[in-house]
Amino acid sequence: MDPAEDWLVESLRLYQDFHAFDLSGATRVLEWIGDKGVFVAGYESLKKNEILHLILPLRLSVKENQGLFPERDFKVRHGGFSDGSVFDLKLLVTSGLPGCYLRVWQFAEDSDVIKPVSTIAVPEKQGNFWPRVAVFSSVAPGVLHGSRLSDLKIVDLESQKVMYSSGISDSEELSSLQVLDADIFAFCCTSGHLGIVDTRQKWAPLENISPNLGSGGERWCAEVRGMGQGPGSCIASLGSEGQLRLLDTRDLCHPISSVQCPVSTPSPNPELLRVSWAPGLDNCLAISGFDGTVQVYDVTSWDGMGIQVEPLFTHRGHIFLNENKMDTAPQVTTHTWHPCKPRTLLSAASDASLHVWDWVDLRASC
Amino acid sequence: MPEIRVTPLGAGQDVGRSCILVSIAGKNVMLDCGMHMGFNDDRRFPDFSYITQNGRLTDFLDCVIISHFHLDHCGALPYFSEMVGYDGPIYMTHPTQAICPILLEDYRKIAVDKKGEANFFTSQMIKDCMKKVVAVHLHQTVQVDDELEIKAYYAGHVLGAAMFQIKVGSESVVYTGDYNMTPDRHLGAAWIDKCRPNLLITESTYATTIRDSKRCRERDFLKKVHETVERGGKVLIPVFALGRAQELCILLETFWERMNLKVPIYFSTGLTEKANHYYKLFITWTNQKIRKTFVQRNMFEFKHIKAFDRAFADNPGPMVVFATPGMLHAGQSLQIFRKWAGNEKNMVIMPGYCVQGTVGHKILSGQRKLEMEGRQVLEVKMQVEYMSFSAHADAKGIMQLVGQAEPERVLLVHGEAKKMEFLRQKIEQEFRVSCYMPANGETVTLPTSPSIPVGISLGLLKREMAQGLLPEAKKPRLLHGTLVMKDSSFRLVSSEQALKELGLAEHQLRFTCRVHLQDTRKEQETALRVYSHLKSTLKDHCVQHLPDGSVTVESILIQAAAHSEDPGTKVLLVSWTYQDEELGSFLTALLKKGLPQAPS
Repeated sequence: MDPAEDWLVESLRLYQDFHAFDLSGATRVLEWIGDKGVFVAGYESLKKNEILHLILPLRLSVKENQGLFPERDFKVRHGGFSDGSVFDLKLLVTSGLPGCYLRVWQFAEDSDVIKPVSTIAVPEKQGNFWPRVAVFSSVAPGVLHGSRLSDLKIVDLESQKVMYSSGISDSEELSSLQVLDADIFAFCCTSGHLGIVDTRQKWAPLENISPNLGSGGERWCAEVRGMGQGPGSCIASLGSEGQLRLLDTRDLCHPISSVQCPVSTPSPNPELLRVSWAPGLDNCLAISGFDGTVQVYDVTSWDGMGIQVEPLFTHRGHIFLNENKMDTAPQVTTHTWHPCKPRTLLSAASDASLHVWDWVDLRASC
Repeated sequence: MPEIRVTPLGAGQDVGRSCILVSIAGKNVMLDCGMHMGFNDDRRFPDFSYITQNGRLTDFLDCVIISHFHLDHCGALPYFSEMVGYDGPIYMTHPTQAICPILLEDYRKIAVDKKGEANFFTSQMIKDCMKKVVAVHLHQTVQVDDELEIKAYYAGHVLGAAMFQIKVGSESVVYTGDYNMTPDRHLGAAWIDKCRPNLLITESTYATTIRDSKRCRERDFLKKVHETVERGGKVLIPVFALGRAQELCILLETFWERMNLKVPIYFSTGLTEKANHYYKLFITWTNQKIRKTFVQRNMFEFKHIKAFDRAFADNPGPMVVFATPGMLHAGQSLQIFRKWAGNEKNMVIMPGYCVQGTVGHKILSGQRKLEMEGRQVLEVKMQVEYMSFSAHADAKGIMQLVGQAEPERVLLVHGEAKKMEFLRQKIEQEFRVSCYMPANGETVTLPTSPSIPVGISLGLLKREMAQGLLPEAKKPRLLHGTLVMKDSSFRLVSSEQALKELGLAEHQLRFTCRVHLQDTRKEQETALRVYSHLKSTLKDHCVQHLPDGSVTVESILIQAAAHSEDPGTKVLLVSWTYQDEELGSFLTALLKKGLPQAPS
């Protein structure tokens, strides 16, 4: 009995539902469009990569009579080609290497092709830096982009005019950008420096400046839960040594709690670190980027510093179903929660696998 | 203009009713003859009137090829051959030949007995149709006639499914039918060699999907079965005698063994023997794993699966039963269904498509109250699960096959052009081949440049080689010879040999030109002057003064004569053969310029 079969039998107990797909190329992006479709994009250098708009199998969207829907496949609704690697995708703008511009894309009117319509120039010219992207979707959509704090800008998508820029000289490298509402966005630098910016004012973010930041060569990423306002609004920040910090948005300088996650450290590729809040569950988040697993944590009772925690659930599918396609174990490149189904996640790995899984909360009674 | 023409028949974009007409180098082949399961009237058949408005189909078609036994590929065959009329050969693999008539008969029974259809083919028609079948082996080149040959390749998908190569001279087309590029528990993956056909025709129904892995589908099946028996329920799985049933049995057997489960699994009477019979017969069509274990023990003799007895259906407690027929339209599976339908702990798993009118179709549409014979209403409380195990190639699989066969062009059928523009671009970019997507009823014409082999005579070849220069692979060399066409062969021979073979004499063309010179001396002296002049001017050529006074330059002859009327004028006669045209013209022009003054 091979390990894959073993794991599949185990999985009967661990997952309510499980789908595994093989993309033609590995992806580092999983971006939702509505609640029925996702974008994926290839990141191989020196070749044409595909950008695909995939529609989830119908059975994942229906509420009743799921059993009567036999189709378990993704439908490729639209596809396009990118000359370079795609590292970030937000509707519908991509960023990757070479990093001197962002590409804006559109669905072709009468076919299933995604075609590039324009580019947005970006100041960064050297090396391996590429701009992070977030999109303000409103009547006049704007693209927030930057690879460093100093070159953070918001560009109007139509006119390509710069609507906002940070205007500061701090050249700290960014690891993520997140739009919270029409005027507010959050940033996280690789040093762990976090900030929430209101674009109606000149640059004056709520941020955490502390002497500990940037030391130790760790690399950080973060995600804000919900819209970043209101009670219980929280930021989760994940470091490449496995540290996970929870912070209240009103007081970024003093984390609520800080834990050490049981992961193999350091992360072999800290650019792939990802932490995400579950939209449908209270106090649950998922992390990935250390190995071939995705871990889910319940942060409800987290209080204090340096506590040891155990994941509520660990998804090991990418490791066991690898089927020796690669010599090295696959690494999870990204993950995302389903917007409506509370315990369903999508995860992608470096072996081009894409999983959709609905894990069973073993604490709860059936 | 040599060309290949392809027309997918039938109307509409739905799955089913596979039927493609191919014209290649003057031969006409029909690929598959399927039924559309969703229609009850003539729309379920391909539109055969397209093939030839008048004239017999047998005269027009050189052969019919059937890829596999699924009804959407062979369901219209008896109608086509017996009711429309075709008496030519029908090619298919051995397993397809064995299984086709069973499915056709089953289908006929449902249509006629259950649905009371009038205009349908009869059992006798199925038999008569099958008499026209010529069975083929994998990788066997079959000569349909002197010029047309076909060859079958393994396609996976179902037992006996094949992809076919159709070849006339140097032109060829490959038709995939339905195929699968990943092996499963009982069948291998499709495979074709680098045959480089002019055209690859592939089904594209699943071209825009990315398929969930086989393992996950199996997992889903196991989960449903396991959960049902854990809660004490009974699982009914209606199956056809062949195909899916064996695969699912192997799966359950493996799982039961691993989990050490004791819940009984039953196999409907008659299923085992029939299945065993066919699988033993066609063991070469199954995959490596099965063949290996078959040597040790019969793969279809299961430890945990026993023969069913109708009395067992009333036994209390959990169990799993595989029963025929597959669409719950009659027989044992329907009987069991009626007994178990009222209990919500039970489950029925439909592993395939059900034709309209059957109980299977009704419950898959969500119906929970069924009217049975005698106006009895059956309330369906048991869980209904529809699972799809069919193995088709998705976008990735199509790319793999194109990479294996290396066709010049690709044609996708059964897809909507607008929804496949991305795939078309992908294929064109990756393989640098043109990709076509005709709608049903639309003809695609592809010009071909057939290569005509010509034999060259050894003598001619040797002579060319002797001219010194070695042939270079990348530089064309000009070769002079005569092309002789006899019967269907072409030969390149030297002119002499051609003349000899044809019994012709070689003609010589000789040109003579007159050049007038002012010279009062005698002809002999003029000739001498000409000789001296040419000797000193034409250093590269052989200039000679012959005893009779004439001058030769290579093989060109110059003679001096006196002008008949004017003694002061001499006439030079310059004559040459056609081969020396260039030199002859040159000499003439040179002489016309005049001679230099002779030294005294």
